[in-house]
Amino acid sequence: MAEPEITPELMRISWGPQHPMSGQTRILLDTDGEKVHRIIADLGFTHRGIEKVLENRSLIGGIVPIDRMAMVDTANISIGYVTAAEKALGLEVPERANWIRSLVCEMSRINSHLYAFGLQAEATGYFPAVFLWTTIDREILLDLFEELTGARWSFNFFLPGGVYKDFPEGFADRVVEGVNYLRNRFKDYWNAMIENPMFEMRCDNVAILEPKDALRLGATGPVLRGSGIPVDMRNEEPYAAYADLDWEIITEDACDVMARTKVRFHEIGQSLNMMEQIAKEIPEGEIKTRFSPFARAPEGEHISRVENGRGEMSTHLWTNGTPNPYRVKILPPSLRNMYVFERLAELSHITVADIPVVINSIDPWYLDADR
Amino acid sequence: MSRKISLPDFISSFNEAQKEIVESVDVFEDTRASIKAKKDKIIEAAEVIRDDYGFVIPIGGGAIDYPEENRMEMNYYLNNPDSDFIIIYRIPVDREKPVLPSMTQVWEAMSFHERETHEMFGIDFEGHPNLVPLLLPPDWKGGYPLRKDFKGEGVE
Repeated sequence: MAEPEITPELMRISWGPQHPMSGQTRILLDTDGEKVHRIIADLGFTHRGIEKVLENRSLIGGIVPIDRMAMVDTANISIGYVTAAEKALGLEVPERANWIRSLVCEMSRINSHLYAFGLQAEATGYFPAVFLWTTIDREILLDLFEELTGARWSFNFFLPGGVYKDFPEGFADRVVEGVNYLRNRFKDYWNAMIENPMFEMRCDNVAILEPKDALRLGATGPVLRGSGIPVDMRNEEPYAAYADLDWEIITEDACDVMARTKVRFHEIGQSLNMMEQIAKEIPEGEIKTRFSPFARAPEGEHISRVENGRGEMSTHLWTNGTPNPYRVKILPPSLRNMYVFERLAELSHITVADIPVVINSIDPWYLDADR
Repeated sequence: MSRKISLPDFISSFNEAQKEIVESVDVFEDTRASIKAKKDKIIEAAEVIRDDYGFVIPIGGGAIDYPEENRMEMNYYLNNPDSDFIIIYRIPVDREKPVLPSMTQVWEAMSFHERETHEMFGIDFEGHPNLVPLLLPPDWKGGYPLRKDFKGEGVE
């Protein structure tokens, strides 16, 4: 990106892409002393042209590249694409497959939120140990992923019309065991982080995003719900088994960094409840509808909307009677939230030291913003 | 949670009230309404959709290329927190002279999506505050990657 001009009384700091907290992006900060006047996001360091790649794959072949959009949250990414492909091919999903999908999606959401939560702890500068705790606890989920899908990351588990495999023997019990272990750990997290005065000092009343601004700037996911607006795709357009599960939309009214962190925290608890419910109440039955991998989808267009860990992901799929999709437009959550981040410096008082805390409360995943 | 607006109600009221600015309203998949505005009323129609019907959440935007028909199409995806459907606001684009008014004057957050469409399809958005490449490198001279005639081979 060509750098925009700067007024002489401000100083420009280039933050990233090599900075330890920045991720794969560069952020330009126009500062006057401690205060940040303007934030400019320079995206595109990890652009791989996934939309173009998908045009050159068959519908089912697209499942592999799309997983690479967000490695920490693969299940929620691929369910968006797979749901759109299902609509295009006109496939029905058996009930048991829907429940297994919800289980994997919720595990993926916890994985993603734990990562965000750990980074948030690290970004405040006081709690590097918490990042290690969350990393160790994610092992529980990765082991469950491995047992169910055969891979710890990027498991390509969802197929149009169902899922790849059924539960192995005794898997439901191990899910319940994992849930119980993680529930106990969250008490530690709550005491160590949320109720810690040091953490409150860094997060309370920082980077306030009023509800009207959150809507106007297109915020999504925990950022939008942290501003008190109850929008969640699992409720808006229930996919997988979410219409049958017991859950509710979590919102916080404080609109600050702490509110977004709390939304993620409570969502982890709720996802654990859903995991337990699925492990105990999953119905028996088939797990996939048979279809040809070379199936040609009739001409048409289909949109799926799913809730990722970071917010709404919409997939717009055009098909034209060939095995490949004509065009796939992906609207990722992180791109929307990065725009909110760019505008935050104008809406609230942000200092240079706040930047790592604020960007981790937005929790962007640059690989899905860049595609 | 209560849902205030349903799609059939919206279609009937919208068609009635907005005859002057709207060319067509189509429904697909039961929960998507695609709206085409008249050619000289693009911004006016967008303001009506936002202000009178409450579609304040910009989900995003993107284009699609039809080289055989010598046209492109720009889509804006919009959501209303109180509705159970989304709107796709479609604007046809001339492939020879791809210039559109920028929607950032109506939905500010379309900024990133228009920058991306600008570099990927070569569509110019008039009135965009900062129309520079978003994802591609600043010295990119390989053409427009998401157009159908871009093959992705041998780009310097």
